[in-house]
Amino acid sequence: MYNASFGNEELQNRNLKVLVLLALIFFFFTIIISRLFYLQYLHYEENLERSENNRLRRVVLTAERGFIYDRKGRILVRNRPSYQIALQSLSLPRKKSEKDSIFRRLLEIRDLNGVQLFDSASLDTAFQRTVWIKNRPIRILEDATPEEVALIEEHSGDLPGVVTLIESRREYPYGTLAAHFLGYTGEISEEQLKQEEFKDYSLGDRIGQKGLELQYDREFRGVNGVKIIEVNASGREVGVIEGMGSQEPVPGMHLVTTIDLDLQRVAEEAFPDSVRGAVVAIDPRTGEILAMVSSPRLDPNIFSLKRRERNRGWAEVALDSTRPLTNRAIAGAYPPASVFKLVTAGAGLEHGLIGRNTHFQKACTGGFQFGNRYQKCWSSHGNLNLIHALRLSCDVYFYQAGLLIDMPRINEFGERFGLGSDLLGIDIPGERSGWLPDSISFNKRNKRNGWRWARGLILNLAIGQGQLVTPLQQAVFIGSLARNEGVFRPHFMKEIRSIDGALVRRQEPVKIREGVMKPETHQVLLDAMDSVVNHIGGTGKRGAVKNIRVGGKTGSGEWKKGEKTHAWFASVAPLDDPKIAVAVIMEAAGGGGAMAAPVAQKIMQEFFYGDTLKKEGP
Amino acid sequence: MGSFIAAGLAFIRIDYLKRLALPFYFLSLIGLVIVLFGGGDVVKGAGRWIDLGIIKIQPSEFAKIAYLMAFSYWLSRHPVSFFRLKSFLAPFALFIVPFILVLQQPDLSTALVFTAITLVGFYWAGLTVVDMFLLISPVFSVILSHSQFAYSQIFWGVLICLVALALFYRRLPKALTSFFFLINIFAGYASSMVWNVLKPHQQKRVETFLDPMNDPLGDGYQVLQSMTAIGSGGLTGKGFGEGSQTNLSFLPEEHTDFIFSVLGEQFGFLGAVFVLTLFFLFLWRGLTICKIYEDPFVNLMTVCACAIFLFHILVNIAMTIGLMPVTGLPLPFLSYGGSFALTCMVLVGFLVNMRYQGGRY
Repeated sequence: MYNASFGNEELQNRNLKVLVLLALIFFFFTIIISRLFYLQYLHYEENLERSENNRLRRVVLTAERGFIYDRKGRILVRNRPSYQIALQSLSLPRKKSEKDSIFRRLLEIRDLNGVQLFDSASLDTAFQRTVWIKNRPIRILEDATPEEVALIEEHSGDLPGVVTLIESRREYPYGTLAAHFLGYTGEISEEQLKQEEFKDYSLGDRIGQKGLELQYDREFRGVNGVKIIEVNASGREVGVIEGMGSQEPVPGMHLVTTIDLDLQRVAEEAFPDSVRGAVVAIDPRTGEILAMVSSPRLDPNIFSLKRRERNRGWAEVALDSTRPLTNRAIAGAYPPASVFKLVTAGAGLEHGLIGRNTHFQKACTGGFQFGNRYQKCWSSHGNLNLIHALRLSCDVYFYQAGLLIDMPRINEFGERFGLGSDLLGIDIPGERSGWLPDSISFNKRNKRNGWRWARGLILNLAIGQGQLVTPLQQAVFIGSLARNEGVFRPHFMKEIRSIDGALVRRQEPVKIREGVMKPETHQVLLDAMDSVVNHIGGTGKRGAVKNIRVGGKTGSGEWKKGEKTHAWFASVAPLDDPKIAVAVIMEAAGGGGAMAAPVAQKIMQEFFYGDTLKKEGP
Repeated sequence: MGSFIAAGLAFIRIDYLKRLALPFYFLSLIGLVIVLFGGGDVVKGAGRWIDLGIIKIQPSEFAKIAYLMAFSYWLSRHPVSFFRLKSFLAPFALFIVPFILVLQQPDLSTALVFTAITLVGFYWAGLTVVDMFLLISPVFSVILSHSQFAYSQIFWGVLICLVALALFYRRLPKALTSFFFLINIFAGYASSMVWNVLKPHQQKRVETFLDPMNDPLGDGYQVLQSMTAIGSGGLTGKGFGEGSQTNLSFLPEEHTDFIFSVLGEQFGFLGAVFVLTLFFLFLWRGLTICKIYEDPFVNLMTVCACAIFLFHILVNIAMTIGLMPVTGLPLPFLSYGGSFALTCMVLVGFLVNMRYQGGRY
C-alpha cells in the first residue's frame, strides 16, 4: 500500500514535491509580473495616451451591396455614395461649455442660400444622445450634398468630434420602373433585430425591406470588414494599430434577374398611370418572369433619401387610398372572370362531358332561367358550340356547362394549372394565394356570415365570378395550359454572380404541378384561344400580333354594382410553341377585350419584334 | 450561499467524501451527457446548462469537483508509476471520459482544467519531475517544431536531446523508452504535416485562437483594450472607479472575465502585484496542508484543488495581458458569475476541511 511505511523519507518526499509545485507557481507568477511591468511601466506613456480619449476605434467597413441586373446584363439597381455628417461622441470635448460652443458653431453654418444646415431641436437631441451612445457615430445630417460636406470640412478645425462618413446607398436609375418587385432598402428596424432570422445583423445596417432586395438580402449584403484605428484628439484617423490585423469587407453578390428591361419598359408605358392594376409576363417553359408591373407606381428612391424627405414620401404612399405599396401582380386577388371559362371548358373536355361540337339545350337569348333566378349574359349569342362560346365568351353556354360538370372537376382542372389556394412560391415575399370555392370551402369560409352553398352559385363560378386569382396565377395558368408540359415555379432569379462575374448559382426550372391534360382537350383549348384573338369576331382580337399565332381569353370581372368591370386579358404566344404568357388586369377599366388586350398586344409586339424594330428604327 | 456551503463542507467527515467520490463522479457524467444530447439550454451557442426549474446548474463545474474527488480517491489507493503501466489504466479512464464529454460541448478551456488536475495528480501520486517532463515533452515538440520563431528548430533538437537524456537517466522499460522518444520525433514532424493538410480556414481558426490580435472581428479588440487599460494604470493606478477605459464600457459587461484589466487600470502595477501576492499566499497556505498530514487522499485533494485554482488564475490573467488566447475561464474570487464562484467556495470548503480534519482517520 501507499503509506504502509511512513517515515522520514516519505515526509521528505512530500516536502520536496510541495517545494517543486511552489517553485512552479512562482515561476509563472514571475512571468505575469514581468509582463505587467512591461505594460504598466515601460509602455505606460503610450498606453495612457491611448486610453485618455479612448483613441482606439473599431471601424466597421461596410461591404458594397450587390447590384441587380436584367437578363441581358443591364443594371436595374446600383449603389451611390452618400455622405453622412455625424457626431463622434468620444472625440467631443468633455466640458459642457466647449460642447455648447460646438453646438452653436454648427447652428451658425449656413449654405449658399443662407439656410441653416441644422435645426436646433434635432441637433440638441443628437448631442444628448452622445452622452450614452459612445461607441458609434450619431448622424446629424443624413445624405448630405457635396456642398454641405465641403462646408463642414471647411470648419473642421473648430469642430472636434464632427466627422464625415461615406456610406453607400441604393440607387434605382429607372425610378418607378419595376419598383414593386425590386423592393427597397432601409435601416433595420428594432423589431427585425429581435427576430431570430436577423440575429447576425446589427443596429444601423441597411437591409432589403421588400421585394428582391429583401428576398436576396443575404446574397447582396456581403460580409462587413472591420479595422481598428487610432484617432487623434479631434476624432480623425491617424493610423492603424501595429500588430493588429484588419478584416477587409467582402462585397455582396450580384443578382441577374429574368426580367427583360425592354419588355418591362414597354409594359410600364403601355399600362396607363391612372389605372390601378397589374401586368405579368412570364416564360411558360421555365417560369422565368419577363416583366411585372403594378400600378399605381412607387419610386423606391424615396427610401434612400434623408429622413425628412423620406418620411414625407413614405407618408404619401402609405396613406394613399389606392395603396401603391401593394404589389398587385402577386398580392392582388381578383375574380378571374371569363378567363376562367377556359378552366370550365377544359374540365368538361377532360372528363368527356362536353366536346368540341357540343351544343346545349338552351340557346343564349341574353340570359338563362335557373329556378326562380334569371342570370344574364352580356349579349344574345344564339345556340353555340364550345369554340364559338369561348370566342364570344357566352355566359349562358357556360352556365349550362358548369351545372353539368360541377365544381370539384372544374376546380381540380384549375389547380392542375396553377390556380387555387396553394402559393406558386415566387421568390419575392408577399405572394397571396387564390381561392377556388366548392361547396365545402365555401361553407367554411362563409360560416360567420351564414351564407350556405347553393347549386345556383355554380352559375357564377362557371364564368369565373366568385373565385380569386392573382395576376401572377393567371399568367402561369394560361402559359402552362397552352404548353401542356407542366407548371414551373415563377421566379426572378436567373443567376447569382460574384463581384468578378463568376457564376455562383443558377436557377433551374422547378416543376411544381403536373399541369398536363389529354392531347384532345389541349387541341380544343388551343383552337378556342386562337379564335378568341385571331377570328374576326373574337372578343380578344385587339391582342393579335402580325404573323404570330397569339391565343388568349378576355375577361370582364364584375365587382361592384354600377362600377365598370375589371378588365382582364390573358394571352400566350406563339400557340404552336408558347414562349411568353401575359396576364393584364386593369381595375374598373371596362371590358377586357377593349382595355386590357391592347396592353398585352404591345408587350407581345415588343417580345417578338422588339429587336427588329430597334434595328430599323431611326 | 457559497460561504455557507464552504462552511458546511468544512465539517463533513473525510470518510464520507471518500465514499461519495465515485457516485458523484458517475452522477456528473450523466449531467455531462444530458447537456451534450440536447437536454441543456443553449447559452451563447454552446449548450452548457441544465435547467432544473429552481436553479440552473452547469454540469461541467459539477464535474470538476466530482472528478477531483474521484481521481484523488483512486490515486490515493493506487499510486502510479511508469514501471507499472497498468496503474495508469483506471485513472486515465477516469480522466478521458469527462474530458471528451466537455470537449464535445465544446469547451476546450474547461477540458484543459481536467488535464491540469490529472497532471498534478499524477505528479503527486508517484511520478518524478523527470517523468512529468517526459509526459509533456510531446506538447513542446509540437510547439517548437512548428513555431514561426527563428531558431525553434534548434530548440527542438535540444529538446529531443533532453528527452533522450531523461530517458537514459530514468531507465524506463524498453517499450516505454522507445515510445517517448518516438512520440517526440513523430509529434515534431507530424504537426507540420497535419498543418499542411488543414484547409486555410482551419489554419486561420487555429492562428486566431493562438494570436487574438490577428482577429479584429473577434476577441482581438477586447484584448487590445484590456492591454491598454492595464498599461494605462501605471505604477499606482488611476484610483478606484476612475478607469476611463473601463468606465466607457469598452469592455462589455458580460466579460467579467476581464476583471483583472479593471483591477490593473484602477490600482496599477502595485495593485496587481498585491493581488498576485494574495493568490500566491493562498496557494502556498493550501499546499502546506500536504506537509502536515500523511493521508494520501487529503494530500491529493489539496494539491489538485490548488491546481484548479492555479490554472484558472494563470489562464485568465495571461489572457488579459495578451499572453494567451481568449478563453472563458474566470478569475477565482474576483470574476462575477454564479457557477464558478460556487465551485471556488466548494474548493475552499474542501481545503478548510482537509486542514482541520486531515489528521483524523
